[in-house]
Amino acid sequence: MEILVCVKQVPDADVEVKLNADGKPNVDSIAPVVNAFDGYALEMATRFKEANGGTVVVMSIGSDNVKDSMKNCLAVGADEAYIISDVIADADTLATSEVLAAAVAKLEEVRGKKFDIVCCGKESTDFACGQISQELSEKLGYGEVVDVIGFEPKDGVLSVKKETEEGYNMLEIGTPCVLGIIKPDYEPRYPTMKSKMAARKKDIPVVETGVNAASPVKVVKVYTPAKKSAGVKIKEETNEESALKAFAMLVDAKVL
Amino acid sequence: MSKNIFVYVEAAEGKAKNVGLEILTPARVAADGGEVTAVVIGNGVEEAAKQAIAFGADKVIAVDDAQYATYNTDTYANALVELVKKYNPNAVFVGATPDGKDFAPVAAAKLGSGCVANVTGVAVEDGKIVYTSPVYAGAILNDAVCESDVEFAVLRSGAFKKAEPDEAKAGEIIAEPITCAADAIRAKVVDVVKEISETVNLEEADVIVAGGRGVGSAENFAILKELADALGGVIGATRAPIEAGWISRAYQIGQSGKSVAPKLYIACGISGATQHVAGITGADYIVAINKDEDASIFDIANVGIVGNLLEVVPVLTAEVKKLKG
Repeated sequence: MEILVCVKQVPDADVEVKLNADGKPNVDSIAPVVNAFDGYALEMATRFKEANGGTVVVMSIGSDNVKDSMKNCLAVGADEAYIISDVIADADTLATSEVLAAAVAKLEEVRGKKFDIVCCGKESTDFACGQISQELSEKLGYGEVVDVIGFEPKDGVLSVKKETEEGYNMLEIGTPCVLGIIKPDYEPRYPTMKSKMAARKKDIPVVETGVNAASPVKVVKVYTPAKKSAGVKIKEETNEESALKAFAMLVDAKVL
Repeated sequence: MSKNIFVYVEAAEGKAKNVGLEILTPARVAADGGEVTAVVIGNGVEEAAKQAIAFGADKVIAVDDAQYATYNTDTYANALVELVKKYNPNAVFVGATPDGKDFAPVAAAKLGSGCVANVTGVAVEDGKIVYTSPVYAGAILNDAVCESDVEFAVLRSGAFKKAEPDEAKAGEIIAEPITCAADAIRAKVVDVVKEISETVNLEEADVIVAGGRGVGSAENFAILKELADALGGVIGATRAPIEAGWISRAYQIGQSGKSVAPKLYIACGISGATQHVAGITGADYIVAINKDEDASIFDIANVGIVGNLLEVVPVLTAEVKKLKG
């Protein structure tokens, strides 16, 4: 099967974002990484390929600035990587989905093969909209399953395990389809010296779709939430004294 | 400028889920003098429809059919799209449950509509609906507008307060017999497996005593449970104890878990990582207990106790029991 994994490069989620002097988020000063859920999607796709045969292709919207992320993906299971150069400023998820759908068609044309499965991470750590799988599936005219924690081939379709609040559902869906991946019970693999060197040698073609997608959702104001006023920190001689002192404050604050 | 707002009120086992009733409140704001219409989809939804009226809807459109007994992206999205095409609301509000987050953007994309995600605030400015959403794990807030003919928005649980219910209020319940053609249903549910038998209502809890990595073991959660019980609340957890297998993921609070808005949140052995804090921005009063005085949780706590939670929490529990008699 031909599997395409859509990858987004985001600022490292462990670093707190602040606003610059010009009122914009200071993301350019934070190290870029492959979005966590996309890493899980790539690992799941790679395991599927290793078990069932096929090819894993990754693609990301960006410029030279995403080259390292693409190389990292090639080093942990992706066979091919492409950069989609249609970067639309302030794209909302609908516009992004339109570009991604056009990119799917473009890559199918370039590679001469259709993709059977398009995987996306459930949400990206920056905006956490969690809507790409859904809107992309609609733009492609494919069915989708989100919150996927596993999938395997079954009688010509895919058997998909979907996490629910109470456990999981098993679904069946035909291909081509879109799968929105969340965290399975395994971690993505680490690259090896060998895989890193092989990745470095690979070409990362840049393709352009030329799509002019509009974003109905427009951000009109960016600001920081009101900071909670500094609280009180208690550290008495014993844990018991600290607890009693805190308790008195809670009673005073009438929160019990 | 008055608008007509659709509110999808999700039903589970015939009863309205809390978030659907909560978001009737911002829908009233967005309507700006216009109408709020609840949409209920399922199999046996009369009770949910009546609750929607009681909590603020002017009327309800009910799509009630065996086809909707189990959630399915295609059937639910199709129903919502058909209703939007027929009734032409200005905006569609959907609660951010797993199902809501799934089919709302599908329906929006089918209509070429924008869909604003993760909404925690709704206002009207210059006749336009303005949606507030946290980004970058809550460090930044974005105010956005949606410029498509129909605006879709997915609203977070616990971010809005339910109105006082008016059981006597009358409201029309319109039955719409919409079904989806079988060949348009692409994913089929073949098995529903319930692994988590415990249900905990984190989103409606007034008091939550939550544990992080510092709790140390599954057994130690009993200490937190005692405090929670004494306060009439529930326990919660961050991702670390869940991944360690100490507690079920039904209790998870944070970016990957539930967003909560209790009156009192007691964070025990929780460092305060952004992904967890993103889930508690709605908490009114935060108490933090941690051995590490530099833990970032103390930056957002009203009262911080630097100490060992295994000794601090039992003392608090004893004092609460004395207080409550």
